Amino acid sequence: MVGESTMSTLGTTERPVAGGRFTFGDSLAGYGFLAPWLVGFFLLTLGPAVASFYLSLTDYSGLGAANWVGAENYVRIATDDPRFWTAMNVTFTFVLLSVPLKLIFALAVAVALNRGLEGLSFFRAIFYLPSLVGGSVAVAVLWRQVFAGDGLLNQALNMLFGFEGPSWISNPSTSLYTLVLLAVWQFGSSMIIFLAGLRQIPQDMYEAASIDGAGKARQFFKITLPLLTPVIFFNAVILTIDAFKAFTSAFVISDGTGGPIDSTLFYTLYLYQEAFTNFRFGYASALAWVLVLIIAFFTAMSFLTARYWVHYDD
Amino acid sequence: MTTLALNKIKKSFGNLDIIRGVDLAIGSGEFVVFVGPSGCGKSTLLRMIAGLEPISGGELSIGGERMNETAASERGIAMVFQSYALYPHMSVYKNMSFGLETAKMPKPEIDKRVRKAADILQITHLLDRKPKQLSGGQRQRVAIGRAIVRDPKIFLFDEPLSNLDAELRVQTRVEIAKLHRDIGATMIYVTHDQVEAMTLADRIVVLRAGVIEQNGTPLEIYNRPANRFVAGFIGSPKMNFLDAVAGDVRDGGVSVHIAGRQARLPIDERVAAGAKLSLGLRPEHIGIDGTGGLELGTLTVVHVEHLGGQTIVYGRLADGQSLTVALDGQRAISPGSTLEVQIAVENCHLFDEAGDRIGH
Amino acid sequence: MTEAALSTTTIGHGVAAATPGVSPWKRALLYALLVAVSFLLLYPLLWMVASSFKPDSEIFTSTGLIPSDPTVDAYRRGWSGLSVSFGWMFFNSLVISLLVVVGNLFSCSMAAYAFTRLRFKGRSFWFTLMLGTLMMPQHAVLIPQYVLFLKLGWVNSILPLVVPKFLAIDAFFIFLMVQFFRGIPRELDEAAIMDGCGPLRIFLKVILPLSTPVLATAAVFSFIWTWDDFFAPLIYLNDIEKYTAQLGLRTFVDSTGTSDWGSLFAMSTLTVLPIFILFMLFQRLLIEGIATTGMKR
Repeated sequence: MVGESTMSTLGTTERPVAGGRFTFGDSLAGYGFLAPWLVGFFLLTLGPAVASFYLSLTDYSGLGAANWVGAENYVRIATDDPRFWTAMNVTFTFVLLSVPLKLIFALAVAVALNRGLEGLSFFRAIFYLPSLVGGSVAVAVLWRQVFAGDGLLNQALNMLFGFEGPSWISNPSTSLYTLVLLAVWQFGSSMIIFLAGLRQIPQDMYEAASIDGAGKARQFFKITLPLLTPVIFFNAVILTIDAFKAFTSAFVISDGTGGPIDSTLFYTLYLYQEAFTNFRFGYASALAWVLVLIIAFFTAMSFLTARYWVHYDD
Repeated sequence: MTTLALNKIKKSFGNLDIIRGVDLAIGSGEFVVFVGPSGCGKSTLLRMIAGLEPISGGELSIGGERMNETAASERGIAMVFQSYALYPHMSVYKNMSFGLETAKMPKPEIDKRVRKAADILQITHLLDRKPKQLSGGQRQRVAIGRAIVRDPKIFLFDEPLSNLDAELRVQTRVEIAKLHRDIGATMIYVTHDQVEAMTLADRIVVLRAGVIEQNGTPLEIYNRPANRFVAGFIGSPKMNFLDAVAGDVRDGGVSVHIAGRQARLPIDERVAAGAKLSLGLRPEHIGIDGTGGLELGTLTVVHVEHLGGQTIVYGRLADGQSLTVALDGQRAISPGSTLEVQIAVENCHLFDEAGDRIGH
Repeated sequence: MTEAALSTTTIGHGVAAATPGVSPWKRALLYALLVAVSFLLLYPLLWMVASSFKPDSEIFTSTGLIPSDPTVDAYRRGWSGLSVSFGWMFFNSLVISLLVVVGNLFSCSMAAYAFTRLRFKGRSFWFTLMLGTLMMPQHAVLIPQYVLFLKLGWVNSILPLVVPKFLAIDAFFIFLMVQFFRGIPRELDEAAIMDGCGPLRIFLKVILPLSTPVLATAAVFSFIWTWDDFFAPLIYLNDIEKYTAQLGLRTFVDSTGTSDWGSLFAMSTLTVLPIFILFMLFQRLLIEGIATTGMKR
């Protein structure tokens, strides 16, 4: 029977530290599990962040010594580097066009799909696919062909309207827009986030509104949109940060040049050129920090202005 | 078997004192219930005994040995959690054997224990199933089984019935009582439900705000509550408390002005004349057939609940104070009518202004 | 209660706002619109795949999706189109992607466990820092990292691409796992403590087995993002034998210019194929993974 128990048969094999007690407050275990991340954080994040700031104040070229030049790199960026301003122009245009368009498409399609249609998961998958493959070289290559002078788009335009289009990617005034289009084409992942957000809006709100006589449009603007603002906000911030960091599409479509005539010179592409083609590590570090500042500024502004339009119901 | 002793046990989280000094001794084989409102610290106390929370002050000893620093699995204790905490990815068998495997017990021994426990709880046919395939009552048994296989000296139960529906609760309560009789181990049981406390316990420990308000057998607690809090906590419907004022005190008794009347109650303490008192009356002790005792006057009925086996009458006394009366059987009483109510003197409880019992 | 907390579907049991009284005409119109947009969206991809089976002359003349005379010639040309066969590059991509998956699962789950289940001094401090790294653009650390790897002699090898993943550099996955672990009831840890487990055993026997959904999600995303990664291989891999499929493709574009689109499309199709396969197999996982990151803010 149970009476003849002895504690020794249940002795543990794990001898915890310090006095034989494992409590949740065991720092050894905590730091043990955190160790890989800690090493990574110091070696690959914090260390390099500090180092890159230091490098931005030198003329380091990757070889030889890093000579201190103070704020010279930054001054040059601000006053003596036309390509910098071109890159800023191109990148900002890209961001300001692609992000809102992406959000609008994503939201529109999410709302359409949320009408309780059949085949929701089918459509959802189809719209998501471009997002998944869009970042790859293959798609950038494809895009290059589609928008080339003899490419798919022009073939189609010719066939349908008899219209002979120019080479969209070789023309400096249209090349950037092909990249914008490529970005917007990938609205699927944002759409999925919107769909999930829409699903979270309680059905009874709409029912109550219907009883109150509100039509569908009114319901959308007065119920759906306000309740979605946190999700819209989140999407907008993430998309914008990602847009600032875009690289592959510009690189592949312009062959790494940012051309024609720097019309697709994304900031990251410019940075890459300065660092790995021109070996100006010091200068490139300064460029990197300017990017960090821009993104940080933008993010801070977003959060500060969020309270005026984002509706949180806690 | 073992005894458990809590000596000046304290628990704080930062600046917040959850347990403020608890002394308790539990004898071998006792079924002790910690009961109290939410936030009183009963679960925290249990978890400190289990070894899941560090003890901020005082000493915990089991079988005479200090256990403050001992690992939970080495205290000879097993715990049944409120939501059973069964490992969802393991079969019932695995759930029960997991602790023994961790202790590197030989397989045949593990198998013997698991099957024995399964037999006691009648869950042998469920051994291969996963928790999600079981009903609430079955999961609860597995949780108990997991505790039994460890062959512990002390079983801890953390509100084990609160996740079950009402009917299952009663059934399981009976089974736990039976388990205690069969196994005879010491059991410490936490609940906020005073019915569970009254029916299961050998001894009840009533807690409030980190302090023990009273520690005694169920009937002791019911018959001689140490203060207003305990008196109001145990017993349903809740005890009535009427404002009263002490009149003159003569040997062996005090006269009490209550509801516009005067009565004499025996006490064995000094009470100042004019002191504010509380008269505690259990609804089930109040009579309406005029058989004497302390007369409370006329009750104007406000609301009646007919439960079939019982009738609960809510009303007001002459001075406006509310009174609840619980009567046996079915009565033809309706709102608006009046009743003469009285209570036997020995069923009166007197409390002073601070809420402490004035003994008699 | 335990089971409900562990189901990972955050979408799928919400109610789609099916507004009553949508006329059948409107429905049909909506459908038609959606189908049209889907078709338009996927057309370039479909055309690319179709074109990989067309002879070169046809690519520039037909916008159709059915090759009139399908041939795998382009595949043959493309496969051996560079000095090193594309097979090698696929192999490199595969090795790197798999190693990254292992590294991420290993280091990120450990960090997430520490952040959610263990108590230690400074935990919230480190956690905040970890969240901070999520927002930080990698360009700020890019160059010093490169210099570091240069000095270690790791440039032109897969080490800079793989080793950081074993150090939980992808904070996104830590975040994902943290969210998931938080849904596992703490009582399970406590039951395991009563059963005599220390933190390692709880991690291995309780937490990880219950985390298969998030581990699978992390694995699939890890693989896809690494497979698609262009930038890191670009700067760290110099020899063509070490190239990944993405680099190989880009080199192919350079060398063929506009002359051999067929083989270019063929190789492109092949580089996209694994992603597509993963997508077909793990659709639900991917979509829910994305949805949860958006929702848990």
